Amino acid sequence: MPTQIAQQRKARLIDAMAEAGLDLLLVYGNGWQNDYLRYATDFGILEGQALALVRGDGQITLYLDSPLEADRAQIDCPGVEVIHAADLVGEVDGALGRFRNQRIGAGPQRLIPRRIAARSHDLKLSDQTALIDRLLMAKLDSEIDAIRRAARLADTGYEVFRNAARPGRADYELIAEIEAFYRANGVDDNFQIIGVGGPEVRGMAPPRGKRLKRGDLVTTELTPCVEGYYAQICRTLVVGEPNGEQLAAFALYRDAMAAGIAAVRAGITAADIARAENDVFRRHGLGDYVTDQYTRVRGHGVGLFADSKPHILEDVTTRIDAGMTLIVHPNTYHPVVGYMVLGDVVVATAHGCEVLTATPRQLFSVPA
Amino acid sequence: MRRGLMRWDENELPQDVLMERIEGLRAVMSRGGLDGFIFYTNLVQPSAVTYLTGFTPYWSDGLLLVPKSGAPVFATALSKRVANWISSTNPVSEIINTAKPGEAVGRRLTAGGCARVGVLELDRLPGGLYDEIVGAAPAAELIDGSAAFASRRQRIDGAERRLIERADALAVAALAEVDPDAAADAGAVAGLVERQARLRGAEEAYIAVAPNLAADRRMIRVSGAPPLADRFALRASVAYKGSLVRRTRTFASDAAGRRAVGRADSWFEKLVSAIVAGQSIGGQIGARIDALPGATLNGWMAESSIGSYPLQTVASSRAPGRDGVSAGGFLVLTVELALDGMPWLGAAPAFVNG
Repeated sequence: MPTQIAQQRKARLIDAMAEAGLDLLLVYGNGWQNDYLRYATDFGILEGQALALVRGDGQITLYLDSPLEADRAQIDCPGVEVIHAADLVGEVDGALGRFRNQRIGAGPQRLIPRRIAARSHDLKLSDQTALIDRLLMAKLDSEIDAIRRAARLADTGYEVFRNAARPGRADYELIAEIEAFYRANGVDDNFQIIGVGGPEVRGMAPPRGKRLKRGDLVTTELTPCVEGYYAQICRTLVVGEPNGEQLAAFALYRDAMAAGIAAVRAGITAADIARAENDVFRRHGLGDYVTDQYTRVRGHGVGLFADSKPHILEDVTTRIDAGMTLIVHPNTYHPVVGYMVLGDVVVATAHGCEVLTATPRQLFSVPA
Repeated sequence: MRRGLMRWDENELPQDVLMERIEGLRAVMSRGGLDGFIFYTNLVQPSAVTYLTGFTPYWSDGLLLVPKSGAPVFATALSKRVANWISSTNPVSEIINTAKPGEAVGRRLTAGGCARVGVLELDRLPGGLYDEIVGAAPAAELIDGSAAFASRRQRIDGAERRLIERADALAVAALAEVDPDAAADAGAVAGLVERQARLRGAEEAYIAVAPNLAADRRMIRVSGAPPLADRFALRASVAYKGSLVRRTRTFASDAAGRRAVGRADSWFEKLVSAIVAGQSIGGQIGARIDALPGATLNGWMAESSIGSYPLQTVASSRAPGRDGVSAGGFLVLTVELALDGMPWLGAAPAFVNG
């Protein structure tokens, strides 16, 4: 039997298709951009690529070009017809031909393979990325519950991370400890990047083999996935006791995150949250450090994708609605101490938000 | 995402080797009358760009343009804050951080007067990027270059072989940690193997488990605590510096099962070391099955890296028509047997002999 969340999502998707007048929806996914596919099929693809056809009557066919993934999907996706298609694009192109003269939507449009996208006019294929985006952003209660569970594992995962951090350990060894903990505790996937060092560190990236030493700032963005749903936490620790400059800088990030979280409520825009965070930096003369030279976003949506819409930026006018789940993180470079991160995941409500992560908002330290 | 050790090391992958690979591609381009060659990359389809530049994205995507002459150009939607990291793992390309990689590459095609441009796996290229390219380079003719590129990937060089061997060593060592008597549950054992692979420097490790081989030989992605049966199997797909291998091992907790698994393991080890070019893989496996009394061949699959995927099926018992391999090539061979009435699964890399 499909999970309850999968059944609820499917019902919502079919309703949305009916409202949009669609007979068929073509959905693409891979191990990087999997949220659209997971919404429709509940499959968490790792290798290869997939296309799914969702019919208005609720029948779903999932095409996978990896035979290993097709085997797995047959187990993971009851109620979905799974087809191993070595020539993925060719087979789906052929299948779409059988729906000619019906109303077909597709998403995410940018990633639809060229051969199929090139037939958009012929197939009357319309871009329905925004339709799925709306479903992805406004969560069902069951989806929020899954994110709540993931947030708890973000907290416990960060404890594992802190306990693993000690002088002499390589950055990738910390990731190894986290992943072992997560596999044993119901977390299928995790998005994680890390930064180790001082003012020379301009951002986080995958581990590059740096070994922790006294005085280093160790930043990480930990994003466990439970039942397909990601929650994120961002924290910074110091190897040894933090110095005065590190503590002073951290206070700024704490104030900025608090300001951003205080701004979250239904009816505002993503830009309002970003502005609340950035104003704290600007008041301290650090306005340059909230530009794209030093930072990417001031937070983003979380859900079936680790980095989903809306992006929290001052030029993003997406309205925040109750039930949206977001990470608010004023992560950026600080000219004195280096790159620092701090972020909590929240769910927007009518009058504010609920913070789902519970790790203290402090600059942690580990013995040197 | 890829979240293990990701670092370019010139001792492992010298810049000269990357330049030789690029020049080899240019020779193919010259024979095909191509003015440039475009490769798409993301964490699922990284291998062609990794082969040419050393760079594998941990997230997001990008396009590599190899022009007839001059430095390759790598345009990516990865943000500016990681530009230094990209440069540190991609020593041969100019890096452009842009929200529109296709447009950036298209502009370079136009500026370079490129008329005919090869694209790896053109049909599968994301439609949005294709539109950006042709929007900025309306005069360029884009043609599929997959077969031409695959011809370059029939043989691997010494540097690639060493990276594959390292990835395999990580997988072997990680799986060696499994004690079927002590294994508590599928999630714990998957976590154990993944931890060991990552502690040794794996760039990525996907661990799949068939918790009860007698009931179902299909592998699942495990987290949590499904119980393990007397006979189970683990597949460790382990990447090191862009090279991915698979190792699958079958485990038994009873003495008779262990003896049977041991016999099959020895048989399989001899098989993978003896794969030769110019002959059907299925035929080579079938010819050796009699050397393992009590065994029936239920299926097999050969994977290699000839395009954008780290591993893609090049021949299998499901599609035997495409059977056959070249000397100097690399395969991951997966074999499924019934042995004394019980399933046995194995997978290992094979270097194809001449």
